[in-house]
Amino acid sequence: MHLRTLSQLGAKVALVAAAFFVAFAVAFAALPQSAQALETAKCTARPNADTGSDVLGGTQTRITWEGQAGDNEQVKNITLTLPEGTKFGLDNTKLTVLTGPDLMTRENPEVEISADGQNLMVNLAEPAVKGAYFRVEIYDVYFPAEGGSYTLTGTYTNAKDETLAIDTIPAITTVGINAAEQLSNWLGEQGWVQAWNDVKFLHLFLDPTLLVTSFPVVLQGFFMALAIIVCAFPLAIPFGLILAFMRLSESRILRALANLYVNIIRGTPLFLQIYIAFFGLPLAGINIPNFPLGVAVLVMNSAAYQCEIFRSGIQAIPPGQSEAARSLGMTKLQTTFSVIIPQMIRIVIPTMTNEFILLYKDTSMLAAVGVMEIVMYAKSIVASTGSITPYIVAAIFYLIITIPMANLVGVMERKLDMDKKNVETTKKSDGFFSKKAKEACND
Amino acid sequence: MTKDNATATAVNATEAQVAEVQTQVAAATAQATPASDTQAYDGPMVSIQHLEKSFGSTKVLRDVNIDVHKGEVVVVLGPSGSGKSTMLRCINLLEKPTSGHIYIEGKEITDAKTNVNELREHVGMVFQQFNLFRHLTAKKNVMLAQMKVLKRSAEEAEKIAMQQLKAVGMEERADFYPSQLSGGQQQRVAIARALAMDPHVMLFDEATSALDPELVRDVLDVMRNLAKAGMTMVVVTHEMGFARDVADRVIFMADGVVEEEGTPEEVFDHPKSDRTKDFLGHIK
Repeated sequence: MHLRTLSQLGAKVALVAAAFFVAFAVAFAALPQSAQALETAKCTARPNADTGSDVLGGTQTRITWEGQAGDNEQVKNITLTLPEGTKFGLDNTKLTVLTGPDLMTRENPEVEISADGQNLMVNLAEPAVKGAYFRVEIYDVYFPAEGGSYTLTGTYTNAKDETLAIDTIPAITTVGINAAEQLSNWLGEQGWVQAWNDVKFLHLFLDPTLLVTSFPVVLQGFFMALAIIVCAFPLAIPFGLILAFMRLSESRILRALANLYVNIIRGTPLFLQIYIAFFGLPLAGINIPNFPLGVAVLVMNSAAYQCEIFRSGIQAIPPGQSEAARSLGMTKLQTTFSVIIPQMIRIVIPTMTNEFILLYKDTSMLAAVGVMEIVMYAKSIVASTGSITPYIVAAIFYLIITIPMANLVGVMERKLDMDKKNVETTKKSDGFFSKKAKEACND
Repeated sequence: MTKDNATATAVNATEAQVAEVQTQVAAATAQATPASDTQAYDGPMVSIQHLEKSFGSTKVLRDVNIDVHKGEVVVVLGPSGSGKSTMLRCINLLEKPTSGHIYIEGKEITDAKTNVNELREHVGMVFQQFNLFRHLTAKKNVMLAQMKVLKRSAEEAEKIAMQQLKAVGMEERADFYPSQLSGGQQQRVAIARALAMDPHVMLFDEATSALDPELVRDVLDVMRNLAKAGMTMVVVTHEMGFARDVADRVIFMADGVVEEEGTPEEVFDHPKSDRTKDFLGHIK
């Protein structure tokens, strides 16, 4: 019982002693570090190109790290570990050492710079003087494209060959870039692109890097233009048909009304009609969002042109067609829907396709009132870059619709011709290529 | 060359089918004039009284009077501009008469209250320019009005269409578009289209004038068979041979009036009027 108490006491004393020892050890270990350290003064990044202050991912960037050695510390190696996913090269990487009172002496000592994985090692030929101030500049760094917050870590080796950690390095925040910008960056580094852009004309009108970056932006406008035309064109058809039948009606009043409408719309520029609708209606207290209002103006405009297409289409049908239908006892309405309209459709499809092309191009006029369509987006990039290239991209977005449509007109003209003599031979020469072109291919 | 061959084949086919065609047309015509109608009305099928028509200040028809009886084939002859086509077009109101009265099966069609569409159902018309619906095949041409006007089902309309096309020797071309057919073939389809409506009277407006001479015969054969089958017909034509063979009565019109009227023998062999003599002399 007694003995047991004693041994318990002994254990307690040993524990306390151990605790003291640990505390001292920690204190001693901490103490020399104030004299023996490499403290980060700053760590920043900047894009090499003059593209503003944001650090962009996937773009050539330079990192500057600066640190102050402890009073007794002679640094002979600095190793910086760049974040995972960051690519870097050693070109132009340099070390500057500032020493002396107020650190006014600047020198670039002889160094050996090497890389191992994500580590960049700067080995000084001679250990630097005590308490020197170091600046490491890495010029060829690419942060990950997606952007985010990245922290460098590092170690240094002193004259006593002790390798110690560089204390906390502040994080660098980068902004992500998209695939097109990455491609654009890559293109910008290619020799042929640089040679291309050296030609002023090509640089101004067809800069490959800007071509690539404009594309996704103008694409949004393309979708808007498509949405407008897909709504406006079909909606204009019934209005156009009604106007056409009014113009061909026996009633003088209906004829006069339709004539008036068609003459006013066709006699004034679409541009003016857009201005009147977009600036006039809000003044009258009627506020309609841009998209439906833009569609409405185009519908009203196209209906007048379509009216004339339908009217001439109906008038191109020989009067014998409706006489035959009427002589068989068909009513006016039956004749209209079973004989006149089906034949009219075949006659007007080529002209209607042209009208579609015209209306699609006319969506560009809505840019004037701020509808975000193709030209509007292109214009915004042109304003910020000073290159005409985005307008060329806009042109491409018009052409990818208009050229196939124009070809389609030719194909349909052949297919829908009711007076053709031989259907079989016409069918053979389908497609977007002319018969001649096909024969040339066969040779 | 190929066109000629095709025509020759078509002619042969028509000849080979003559007997069959006759029975077909007879059947179609029997269908066209139901017994009840004939019993109900006994007078002339078409009666034109004091018909006058002017286009602006030009008088085209002045006091035309013609009666056409059931089963009768009346051939109207006359120089161009004599008003014979206008007279024919007045019968189904494709031209509106300026004055006068026209009765079809006793009903006055010039009366504003008459349902023109109903009247036209019973009056078939064949045009100089065929006027087939260009966007439809031969068969669909014959089917359309049957379905729209007579409200026949698609199956029934197609069955009748094929019968009628067979009757005019065109069943093999049923799925051809008008543009793929010769003029004579188009005209035969046009006749089939009119017959499919079970007309009580058929009007032919220079049905062969726009045809190449070698194609005229096919169309005339069809018309001849139709006449033999007992169809009431008013035929405006320049085909003297046809008039002589087929007509029950020949009417000679000049300057908007009926100049002479009688049996083919009377008009052709013993014309009374100088105008008629002059006209026939020119033709011969």
